[in-house]
Parts: sequence; C-alpha cells; structure tokens
Amino acid sequence: MRTLSRIQSWMRAVMGRSRMEREMDAELHFHIEAFAEDLARNGVPRPEALRRARIEFGAVERAKEECREARGISLFDGLTQDFQYAVRTLRKNPGFTATAVLTLALGIALNATMFSMVSAFLLRRPPGQEPSRAVVISGINPTQGFQSDLSGVSAPNYLAWRQANHVFVEIAAADEYRTVSLTAQGTDRSGQGTSIGRPEALRASAVSSNYFRVFGVSPQIGRTFADGEGLAGHDHVVILSHELWERRFGSEASVIGGTIRLNRENYTVIGVMPANFRLMGFVPQLWMPLVLRAADQTEAARKERSLNLYARLKPGVTLEQARAEMVTLAQRAEESFPETEKGWGVGVRTLPEYLVQNFSVRGGLAVMMTAVGFVLLIACANVAALLLARAAGRRKELAIRISLGAGRLRVVRQLLTEGLVVALLGGGGGLLASYWGINLVRANMNFNEYVSAVPISLDWNVVFFALAISVASAALCGLVPALSASRTDVNTNLKEESRALSAGRSHSRLRTVMVTGEIALALFLLVGTGLLIRRLSVLHNQNLGFVPDHLLTAGVTLDSAQYKDASQQAAFVRNAMIQLRQIPDAEAVAATSDLPATGPGKVTFLIKGQPELPANQRLSALDFVITPEFFRAAGIPLLRGREFTERDNGTGTRAVLVNQEFVHRYLQGQEPIGKQIRLDVSGATPEWSEIVGVVGNTKSFSGSTREEGQVFEAMLQRPISSFALMIRAASDPEGLVGAMRNAVRQVDAELPLVQVMSMHAVIKRQDGGDAIFEALLASFALLALILAAIGIYGLVAYSVGQRTHEIGIRMALGAEKPHVLRMVLRDGLKMTAIGAAMGLVMALPLPRVFEAVLYFGGENIQEPALYFIVPIAMTVVTMLATYIPARRAMKVDPVVALRYE
Amino acid sequence: MDKKQIELLQGTLDMLILKAVSLGPLHGYGVLLRIQQISKDRLEIQQGSLYPALYRLEHQGWIASEWGESENKRKAKYYRLTAAGKRKFQTEAEKWNRMADVIAGILQSTPEEV
Repeated sequence: MRTLSRIQSWMRAVMGRSRMEREMDAELHFHIEAFAEDLARNGVPRPEALRRARIEFGAVERAKEECREARGISLFDGLTQDFQYAVRTLRKNPGFTATAVLTLALGIALNATMFSMVSAFLLRRPPGQEPSRAVVISGINPTQGFQSDLSGVSAPNYLAWRQANHVFVEIAAADEYRTVSLTAQGTDRSGQGTSIGRPEALRASAVSSNYFRVFGVSPQIGRTFADGEGLAGHDHVVILSHELWERRFGSEASVIGGTIRLNRENYTVIGVMPANFRLMGFVPQLWMPLVLRAADQTEAARKERSLNLYARLKPGVTLEQARAEMVTLAQRAEESFPETEKGWGVGVRTLPEYLVQNFSVRGGLAVMMTAVGFVLLIACANVAALLLARAAGRRKELAIRISLGAGRLRVVRQLLTEGLVVALLGGGGGLLASYWGINLVRANMNFNEYVSAVPISLDWNVVFFALAISVASAALCGLVPALSASRTDVNTNLKEESRALSAGRSHSRLRTVMVTGEIALALFLLVGTGLLIRRLSVLHNQNLGFVPDHLLTAGVTLDSAQYKDASQQAAFVRNAMIQLRQIPDAEAVAATSDLPATGPGKVTFLIKGQPELPANQRLSALDFVITPEFFRAAGIPLLRGREFTERDNGTGTRAVLVNQEFVHRYLQGQEPIGKQIRLDVSGATPEWSEIVGVVGNTKSFSGSTREEGQVFEAMLQRPISSFALMIRAASDPEGLVGAMRNAVRQVDAELPLVQVMSMHAVIKRQDGGDAIFEALLASFALLALILAAIGIYGLVAYSVGQRTHEIGIRMALGAEKPHVLRMVLRDGLKMTAIGAAMGLVMALPLPRVFEAVLYFGGENIQEPALYFIVPIAMTVVTMLATYIPARRAMKVDPVVALRYE
Repeated sequence: MDKKQIELLQGTLDMLILKAVSLGPLHGYGVLLRIQQISKDRLEIQQGSLYPALYRLEHQGWIASEWGESENKRKAKYYRLTAAGKRKFQTEAEKWNRMADVIAGILQSTPEEV
C-alpha cells in the first residue's frame, strides 16, 4: 500500500513534472507572502517585510531541490541532466568525440560481424517442435578419427533399437547422402518437360516414414510419407525441397500428384517441404522413403553403418535416461554380434548439439570471437585513455563542481554517462558498419553448399549483442577515468597551477598500465594469428603427393535400376574409360572411389601370417578402389612392382597396391611385393589379395599434413556404384568439361555428373574456410597492432605535451636534444618491453590451446621463430609511434616552453 | 529572534508536523505557525527545511494534500493526516515518550542510585 503510494507519487512527480514545479512555486510563494503579511501586520513596512520573509525562509532553490529529492525524482532528473551535459561536452570536442566513437565503432563492428556467424551457426533453433526434445543417436567408432563419435548406425541396429527402447516416442532413420538423377520429362509442368533435358544429379535423403513426425514439421503443401510407403513396391513417392520446387517446377502447387522421373523410374510427388526445413547446412533436395529389405537385416548389413537416427524423447524422459538405455542396447548388440559390433558404442545428443558438433565450427568461432574480443578491449583501452587524458584536463572543472556540492557519486555518474554516450554512438556506428561486414562475410562464405546453406544475417541476436557490448564498453571506458577523477583532491587541484611538474602523474601511470596491456594483447593476437597462418600456409604449400594441376574431376552415382549388379557397373566403367580416352586433350583417364587428399574411408585388414584379431583391434588403412590409369592420371609415382592392368578383373586373382607408408607402418620394411592381405570389405566375402605394387604417399586430406597407410583395390575386381572420374588434361582442365559430359552421355544419356570441377576447385571447396579464417584473423591482428600503436602514440604525445615546461627547463639547463629524444623514447620502449614480455608469456601455451580447440589431429604447429619476429616487429612499430611525438619534444624551444601557460 | 530558542533534534521535525496536522488540515505556513504556537516560540525551525519534510511525508503516505482557500481568500495547499499517518504518529509519539522518560531518568539519577 505504502509502496504503491510512493510509486504513484513518484510517477506523478516524473510525469506531471511541470505541474509539480508550478505547484511547488505557488506553495513556497504563498508561504513567503503569508509570512510577509504577518510581519506587515506587526508594523514592518511592506517592502522590508517581504525582504525579511525571504531571508528568514532561506535559499528557495535549495529547498526546491530538496523537495524534488524527497519525491525521488532527482535521480531521473540527474540522469537527463548528465545526458544533456555529456552530449554538450562531446559536441564541444568534435575531434575527441570522433576519434573515440570511430575507435569503438570499429571494435563493435568487428564483434557484431563475427557474432552474426555465432548466431547463424550456434544460436538458431533447428526447425520443428521443441527441437531440444529431439535427439540424434550416433554410433561411436572404436577406431579414433575425425568425428568418430558421430558415426552412422546400421539397419539391423536401427530395427532392433526401434523395437526395444522405452525412452523414445519414435526413432526415425535417414540415409542422407544418396545421389539420384532427375530427368525432365512428361508431367513436369515447368514448360520444358517435353524434351529430355540434361539429367540432373540431386542430393536425396532416404527417410523412414516417421521422419517428419519426429521433427514435428508439416509440409508446405501436400503430405508427408504414410506408414506403408516404407515397403518395397509402395515406395515410389517423393517429397520435394522448397528450393527444388521453386527452381525446377516454378513453385506450381499442381506438382502434387504429378510424376517425376528419378533414377529412370517414375515417382509421384506427394509434398513440398517449407524453405525453413533444413538441418543447418544439410539440405537434401528431395526425400524418398527408406526401404529396408531382408538383406538389410542380415549380419553382413551390420557393417553398413549408413543411417542417421533421429528420435523424440518421451515426455518426462531425460537425455541421461535415454543415453543409459541406448548404452544398454548397444551392449546387448555387442554381446550378440561380437564379430561386427565389438567396441562400437552409441551416443545420444540433442538435435541442436548434434548439428553444431557435426558442423565443427565451434572451435573456429571461439578463436575468432576471442580475437575480435581482444581488438575491442584494445579499442576500449584507447578510448579510456582518451577520456582519462581529458579528465586530467578537466580536473579543475571537476574540483569546482565537487566544491560547489556535487557529490562524488554524481561526478562518477557524469563521467560514466559520457562514456555511455560515446559507446552508444560507437555501437550504433558499429552496427551500421557490421551490416556491410556481414554482407562481406556472407559473400565469401560460399565455398561449398553446406556453408552457403546457413544464412548469415544481421538478426536480433546480433543487435542485442552489439547493444550489450556497447554498454560493457561504456563501463570499461568510463569507469577507470571516472573513478580516478572522483578521487580528485579538491584543494590541491584548485591550488595546483598547471605549471606544477607533477601534473597528472597518477593519470599517466594509469594510462601507462593500459597501453602496456594493449601491447600485451596485440602481441598475443599477432603470435596466435601468426601460428595459425603459418600452419595454413604450410598446408597450402605442402606437396600433396600427387599433381592437382590440369586435373578435371566429376562424380558419378550409378542407379540400381540400370546397374543392377556388379558386372553392369564394371561394364559402365570400362565403356566410360574408352569414351573418355577419345577426348583429344586427355592424357590419362581414371575412375576412383575417392579423389586423392579428400579423406577416404578406412578399411580394416589382416596380413597373412599374423594372428587374427578381434574387429576393433585390427589394422586399418585408407581404402581406394581405382581403375588402372589412376596413378598416371593423379601423378602418383609407382615405386615398386606394377600398376593394375585390364587383366586385374573379375576373373583374375585379387591384387592390391599399397603406399609407402603402409609398407613402413605395417610390414616393417619387409619385401611387400607378393605379401597377402585380407581386406574386411563390407558386403563381400573375405578373400586374400596379393600386393603387386607400391606407390608414393599422398596426404590423407588436403587440410592436414597427415599421411596414412593406403590400400588400392581394382575397380574391375570390386565394382562400386559411386565414384569419381578423373581426366589429366594437356590443357586447361575447365575446357574439357563439355567433352567429359559428352563422353559420359555416349555411354548413358540419362546419367548425370555431379560437381564437374578441377581438382584445385575440389580442394578449395574442402578447405575454402581456411582462406577466410586466415584473412579475417590477419586483419584482426593487424588492427590490434594499429590500435596499440595509436594508443602508445597518444600517450607519448600527451605526456610530451604535459611535460613541455619540464623539457623546456631541461633544455634551458643545457640538456642536449638527443638526450631529450632518448628520454622520451625510453618511456615508450619500457612500455613496449613490459607489454611484449607479458604478451609472450600469454602466447606460450597457444599451440596447445589451438590443438585442443581446433582439432589439428596431432599436428605440430610450434613456430619458435614467431616468438622473436613478432616482438621485434612490435617494437619497431611502437618505436615509430613514439618517435613522432618524441621529435616534437626535441624541437621544444626553451624560451617558449618556459612561458608556456 | 529569541536567543532562548533551541535547535530541533534530528528527526523530530517529522513528528511535530504530524502532530500539527493531526489537529486539522493546515497549509505549510500554517504548520510552521502551529508548531511555533504550541512550542511557545521556544523551537527554532528552519523554514526552508519544512517543505522538503512535508514532501517526504506526503511521498511516504503519512499525509495527503489538496488545494484549498486560505483565511485571506488565497489559493493554498492544505495537508491533512492520513489513517496510516495517524498510526505512524502514535507509535512515534509513544517511542519518543519512552525515550524521553529513560533519558530523563538517567540524567536525574544521583550518585547513590548508581
């Protein structure tokens, strides 16, 4: 009740401000009048009575101020007053204001721009209802490797777990990386339907019929899969992505119920998903039913871990309970099928967590945000130093205000408000600049379709973040000068003439500390960036072990309608090679399961004569399936033995080649030729193969220096349905694109090629993020250096200005100019030395930190030279920044200086 | 001014104002006159500090104000005691009387009693 009356009175006071002022005036006026009248009645003459009444009453303004305070409006009042005052002082110093605002705007723009990536990758909610109740079940591969804990799950496990678990409403399965061909024809209503156009390869996801139900999403038009449509014979239905619907079918609603030709078979379109249904960067262009046949339930099918499982937790079930249940089920599978399941675990993650891990952007973003955060800190230190310098110049003003009765708190608040105004202006400017920055980042984040699919934009998260860091900057910038100014001793400051040599010593000490900190941070950033850039340049310039120049590549997926068995697949490969070889500029042509340095899958194997080990302890090597000319096409040298020939086909004895690392690692340098090994190839009966040749090493992955053992199988002996074509060209490889498409059309007119591009383009697609990462980090570090240099310049220039009088005296007393120069330079050097030492100590553990955060896979990025080069470069820059004001000090004319002020 | 006036003890002005307006609505100047009248001019009251006290008491809800007409037909702001103010005044007055008794008892004590 009383609180209410207080709030009411406060509201009245604040809202009805002018009315209250009027009433207060009237009331006090009435008092004085009435008092004067009483005096007059006692015989005092009227004018004298009024005068006496006023004197008796005392200071009217102070009474009013106290009345306002009693109403609690002076806080609000003070704030507006502070604000107006801050704006006024800032407008009076446009140079100072512009510098401070621009510095902060720069720092805030960088942070907002980088944060747009954080927002896009980490903060967006996945589609569907309650995405945090949706989970992803992944296999955990006992063989350690990149994202080995995000492995797929086999069909038999899916079916078993779906039956046995008590924690999920449903489990859906998706085989997300299928390629299908779409041939335009018949009922395609885009207008081009009548002629058979170029077949297009599409990314398709084969999903169980409950898939969309698990996410809780509805189609934009049409329907999702019905339960019976996961059965063979009923499965020729398809759901289109919004993108495909728009591009190929002109967003026509009439597409529903129509037929499209996929993999040479007719499918009925039953639905279109909305544009926002995407799992971060993973966007299939269409969804088909996942059909699980009898063959998918055999023990052999347990090796085919190609399904991603999505599930929804039952109400009340926690993630931990779900995990525990799945671990039990995985153990049961391990006990029942030790041959295939030994060592394999299972993990359960919420959908958002899974997507972030799968995209593995967190480490990179953390590094970026740290870098821009430091740049902002440095910017804040510069602005704080500016405010501090100005506060030093305003000591007298503040002293007068304090002596006139302004509370210290009031003065602190005043200075903080100034900081806040500067920071908010900087934040606004920064946000505007980040709009441009975000566009720039988005324009560059398109090196592959997964990254392009994640929309980076200036969203509300970014706006709130910019606002938050503006306020934080205001506190950082404003607090230091405010506190130091409020400690002002009124007496000394009012007495202290500007001649005093000790002027502002404590202020400059604080600034020295801040500039030293800036140097430390800048050095830390430079060393960190240097380490990363050095690593990337090593990777960029490394010898991959093959020749990527003049190499044209394309992907092919043979559909099961036309290519039902291995012999048909082998026939396609043989015919395609014949056609490709006809191309005039083709020096060598090949097909391969994986292009070199693109991270192929691993295969476990046994060397004849060695004891048979359980599945999870077997040796493993990277597995390639190739045609005879592969090594010539790729430019990989044959070191011993022979390459494959046309005779290494289905009827010949199985032959393999291995690389040098394989011989070194697994054969301990014994004679490799003639050794027998047995590969655990999925779906095939184990057979012994003979090593017939040894080739040079190639890197496992272009973004890494790793070299591993490799095994090469002959594609004619083990045909596969999905592979890449390679042409070594005598000329520009891009010029052969048309010829390559033609050659494949000669063999099969309805088979599309995917990602027809040069090998360099393939590598760029793979490592494209690195170049952006590198460029961004380098610019951040450079900016940090420039800001730190400006900081030290500002400090030295200011202190030279302050010490003009002192320098004048020194010179009048006979100090030589070089001596004065040395004196000033020494101050700068001292700060640089201390700052650099601190920065170096901070930077020492960086290689280990990067290793942990960015998953380099055990690569060494020690670069001791950096720890010398960077501090030296830093010293040169700061010395330059010191030298300019120092030279000014040297030019001081003693006569002028002594008259100074 | 009478030199025999004594300065007001800290925090007692509020109580005196509450007492003054408890006898009937008064304007600010009236409060001053009433206190002086009851105290027989023995208290020195800073006129300037009267109004902040009135505003504070009103803000706290002990007194309420409204505009009315003064004895000489002029517009004046009248204060009156609220129900909450009445209770407040009673407890404050009781506290004060107890305190005054205790203090007086201490000051009057003789060496024998101690």
